[in-house]
Amino acid sequence: MSAKANDLPRPTDAELEILTVLWSLGPSTVRSVHETITRRKPAQYTTVLKTLQIMAEKGLVRRDEKQRAHIYSASRPREWTQRQLAGDLLQRAFGGSAASLMLGALSSQRASRKELAELRRFLEEYEKGTP
Amino acid sequence: MSYLATWIHSTAAQALGWTLVHFVWEGAVLALVLAAGLWLFRPRSARWRYALACLALAAMPVAFAVTLAVTLSRQPAPVPMPPGPIAPLAVSIPVSAAPADTFTLAQVLDRLAWLVPFWFAGVAFFYARGMAGWMAVERLRRRGVCAVPPGWQARLDELAARMRLTRPVALLESCLTDTPVLIGYLRPVVLLPLGCLTGLSAGQVECILLHELAHIRRHDYVVNLLQGGIEGLLFYHPAVWWVSRVVRAERENCCDDAVVEIMGDARAYAATLAVLEERRSLAPQAALAATGGSLIERIRRLTAEPRRAHASAAPAVSAGIMLVLFAAALAAWPAKAPGQHRPHATLQVADAAMQVAAPKPQDGRLALRAAIEAPYREWLSPDAQEPQAQPLTDAERRAGEKALREELATPYRKWLNEDAAYIITDEERAAFVRLQTDEERERFIESFWLQRDPTPGTVENEFKEEYYRRIAYANEHFAAGIPGWKTDRGRIYITYGPPDEIEDHPAGGGGRRSAEKSGGETPTYPYQVWRYRYIKGVGANVVIEFVDPTGSGEFRMTLDPSEKAALALVTPPRTYYFASREGPAVLVVVPGRHGTAGQAGAIGAANQGLIALDREIANTKIELDALLKDYAPEHPSVRRAQEQLQRLEEGRHAMVVEDGTAGPVAPVIVVVSLEESADGFHVFGEVTTKGRKIVQTFEEPVQGSPGRQSVAKTIPLAAGPYHVTVVVKNLATGAAQKSELDFTVD
Repeated sequence: MSAKANDLPRPTDAELEILTVLWSLGPSTVRSVHETITRRKPAQYTTVLKTLQIMAEKGLVRRDEKQRAHIYSASRPREWTQRQLAGDLLQRAFGGSAASLMLGALSSQRASRKELAELRRFLEEYEKGTP
Repeated sequence: MSYLATWIHSTAAQALGWTLVHFVWEGAVLALVLAAGLWLFRPRSARWRYALACLALAAMPVAFAVTLAVTLSRQPAPVPMPPGPIAPLAVSIPVSAAPADTFTLAQVLDRLAWLVPFWFAGVAFFYARGMAGWMAVERLRRRGVCAVPPGWQARLDELAARMRLTRPVALLESCLTDTPVLIGYLRPVVLLPLGCLTGLSAGQVECILLHELAHIRRHDYVVNLLQGGIEGLLFYHPAVWWVSRVVRAERENCCDDAVVEIMGDARAYAATLAVLEERRSLAPQAALAATGGSLIERIRRLTAEPRRAHASAAPAVSAGIMLVLFAAALAAWPAKAPGQHRPHATLQVADAAMQVAAPKPQDGRLALRAAIEAPYREWLSPDAQEPQAQPLTDAERRAGEKALREELATPYRKWLNEDAAYIITDEERAAFVRLQTDEERERFIESFWLQRDPTPGTVENEFKEEYYRRIAYANEHFAAGIPGWKTDRGRIYITYGPPDEIEDHPAGGGGRRSAEKSGGETPTYPYQVWRYRYIKGVGANVVIEFVDPTGSGEFRMTLDPSEKAALALVTPPRTYYFASREGPAVLVVVPGRHGTAGQAGAIGAANQGLIALDREIANTKIELDALLKDYAPEHPSVRRAQEQLQRLEEGRHAMVVEDGTAGPVAPVIVVVSLEESADGFHVFGEVTTKGRKIVQTFEEPVQGSPGRQSVAKTIPLAAGPYHVTVVVKNLATGAAQKSELDFTVD
């Protein structure tokens, strides 16, 4: 099983986009995937359909054919792909400098275990404070 | 190699070498000045501290450049090239840190330039890395992203409008980031990690979006890029990295403050950040890895009880060291002689170069801690604003306070003149202008909205939400060169809400004239007709027309449907006259208009005039306040401002709106608009010629009901000067008020 997981090819950019939509929406029809994509950029319905079919062949998505409109779902959780893409050379080499170029609500550094414990304490107190 | 050896002995290389060494102490001094400054100003707002840190960071490349220029100008003519074998030997010397006392002064001087190639290589490395990082970030715009549900994009636009952002901001979900981030400056994109929208409450997501929008409003992305440039240029100095870290930390604090200013609940916001961090800790490491910062400090800062800044030894020690160093540097600089300093400095460079991987100077960290722990914002700790026992001179303190006042005055002035411009009453405006502190202003704004909350018991303030929604809608749909809320359509939309019916004629085209306007075709500009079935205080079945005569998309309100006719638009601009009157009524005379639409237009014009007048009054009051702070009351500019204010305030009570278009026999509309009152009124009117010959009289009862009431009368008049007298009698109290105006129909 794990061998099969490793066999899955790294998704192309177009495939990654569709995977992202599927992770965001959950199992969806081609139509709703297409609708979500066209909200961001123009895309042909047939292109989306074709890409999904290729992805199903590769094993990146699963197809549920029980209903008339086929339902597609991502075959792996998004954590899997994140791990895959973290192996991307560009990301690995320049992730640090990229992170310092982005502005976020959180610092790009993850909290340490000790800090997390403190955060959790704070949250518990907060929830107690606001019934 | 020989080329390098030749170059190393050039004047430029020597000067650069010296500059690199000199910057070691210069950078340290700047960092210490910043540490001292942060300590002195620790009760100040994050904005202040951020500005201070930015200044220190910007001073670093400046110091470097100045040093280089000075060194270049003092450099002697290039030394003749030494025999070959020396060069390779020299390469190892500065870094190997061999015992310094074995070198003569001349040898050390010669070899200093060998630092330069290493420095170049370092700069090239950091810039290449930065460039690659930038490309990686730009790729995130397109890779692994997914459009958010349309409601969220609309919500973001609303929040952006509330922040007064003019650039459109895109919102996307991304599977490649593990924390919400902002990318780009000209076309900003906010990326949310997948699952963020569904996993957090709407309020929490809004907090996060506001934080990112605050970054956009503050132009942080550009500052951050510049910061990266400075870091790369002076990478070998730990002080640069430390100052840069302070800038980053204070930047986040500034944005936190901005969010809390809008959302109001610091603890809820802190909880949002904590939840976000917890969610991130559950996910695997995302594609993008990490650098510096501390969330727990931010949360402590957001939620801390007002704490007295406690005395700590560290800043005092830093300040002491700073003074000693500064004095030593001053002594050493002009002479450039004492041989002892130089080998020492070289060693320091080597040491510093080794620290680049983990730039954490001990004193720097202490100072940073002290800097972060000490201050709490004014809204959290009112007593932090009390005079501190700092050895500040009076002049310094006054200058500081003035700067702070100016800085803080802006958002409130904005609130008064933009956010609430269309709904704030005169009394409220006057009260607001009189407020002294920002706390009072905050409290005022809070109660301002609370009074208008239709359901005061609930958390949501439907009125405020609807109001800001209207502003956002206006900005989104009516903007045309000027912000949407400032356009005529925006003003009407914000004041009266969405119309019940919109008739859109985007192409203009040949409008078929109605029979009473002689029928036939008239070419027109693009126009819209808005119908309101009922507007409280204005009347039923109000029709307002907007025309876009320039084709720019900015539709202007017309007083009459005929104005959309292309021919009729070649008219002189409307003028407003103000005359002094007392009492509850506003009398408006509009020559040259008739019909329901004309009446609505007249009322609209009256309101428009009043709003413009109100805004001018408020601005004049603010201006007068500012003048009074600097000048005595008898100063000519103060007196001028007072006179203007008086004129404007007198004008509030009665006004004539005159429009230049009129035929030989012009219909004139007399509008009596009553201030808000629940009492019933009786209105008597009389229009006479200049020779006191009565042309027309009218009489109308006004039912008592809350809200503004208006009486409008249309009277046909031939060209000439006229006089109108209106008496408004309060049926409850019996008090009568007379208003008179002269006007001309031409």
